[in-house]
Amino acid sequence: MEFAASVHVYPIVLAIHLSCIALFGGMILMTNLRLLGWALTDYAVSDVVGRLRVWKAAGFLIMAACGILLAGSEAGKYYANTYFWVKMSLLALLGLHALVFRRGVYRNAAQLDDSPATPRQAKVAAILSLILWIGVVCAGRLIGHHVLN
Amino acid sequence: MLLQEANPVLDLMIKNQWLFPVTECVHILSFALSIGTIAIVDLSLLGLGLGRKAAAPMWRSCRPWTLIGLVLIVFSGLLLFATDPDHYYLNPTFQFKIPVFLLAVIWNQTIHRKAVQSGDAPGTLSRLAGAVSLVLWIAVVFGGLFVAFSG
Repeated sequence: MEFAASVHVYPIVLAIHLSCIALFGGMILMTNLRLLGWALTDYAVSDVVGRLRVWKAAGFLIMAACGILLAGSEAGKYYANTYFWVKMSLLALLGLHALVFRRGVYRNAAQLDDSPATPRQAKVAAILSLILWIGVVCAGRLIGHHVLN
Repeated sequence: MLLQEANPVLDLMIKNQWLFPVTECVHILSFALSIGTIAIVDLSLLGLGLGRKAAAPMWRSCRPWTLIGLVLIVFSGLLLFATDPDHYYLNPTFQFKIPVFLLAVIWNQTIHRKAVQSGDAPGTLSRLAGAVSLVLWIAVVFGGLFVAFSG
C-alpha cells in the first residue's frame, strides 16, 4: 500500500504542476499581450493586470509548492541536473523582472491606461516576461529528460 | 503492425537528438497557450477573473491564440505519436487521453461557445460550460503526463 502510493505521488504532483502551466500560462500570455497592445484592447490595462493578478499569484504558489515537492523527492538527481539550475536561474530572473518593472508597469497600470500608446517600458516588460517563461517551461521539460532516464 | 518496418519520423528524431525534446516543449507550450486561453474564458463564465461580461470579448481576443495552440498541439502530438505508434496506440492511458481531448475540443466548440455567445447573464449554462471545460482539459493534461510515465 505504501509502496503503491509513493510510486504515484511524483507523477500526480507533476501532473498538478503541468495543469498549473496549462491554466495559468494563458493568463500570463494574455497579460503580456495586453501590455503589448496586441489583445484585449477593449479592456483597460489596469483591469487585465489587476483582475488576473490573484489567479496568477495562486497559480504560481501551487506551481512552486509542487516544484518544491518534486525537487525535494529527487533532491540528489535534481542537484546534479544542469537544466534544474538553468530553470532556477530563469525563475530568479523572473523575480528580478517583477521587482524591476513593479513600479513602472505592474503597480502603475492606471497610468498606462491614460497614455494613448503603451510606453516602451511596458512592452519590454511583456516581451522579457514571455521569453523568460518560455525558457522556464522548456528547461523544466528537459529536467525530466534526465531524471526519468 | 503499423509502421514497423520503416519509421521516417523516428529515424529523423534519432538522427537529430534535440528534435524529440523540442517537439515535447512545443507540445507543452501549445497546451499552455490553448488551454490557458480557454481557462481565462472559463473563469469569466464562472463569474470570476474579469467577470461574466468579459467572456465574449475575452473569447474573441483569445480565439486566434487558442486555435494556433490547438493546431500546434495536434501537430506536435502527431509527431510524438509517430515516433512509436504501437506503444501509444496500445497504452490504456493514451486511449483515455485522446477521446477526452476530442470531447474537450467538441465541448469547446459547441456548448462552451454557445454559453459565451448567449449574452452577459451568469447562469447555469455559463457555469456548467466553464466548469466542465476546466475539468476536461485538466483530465487531458493528467492523461498526457501519465502516458509519459507509463512508457
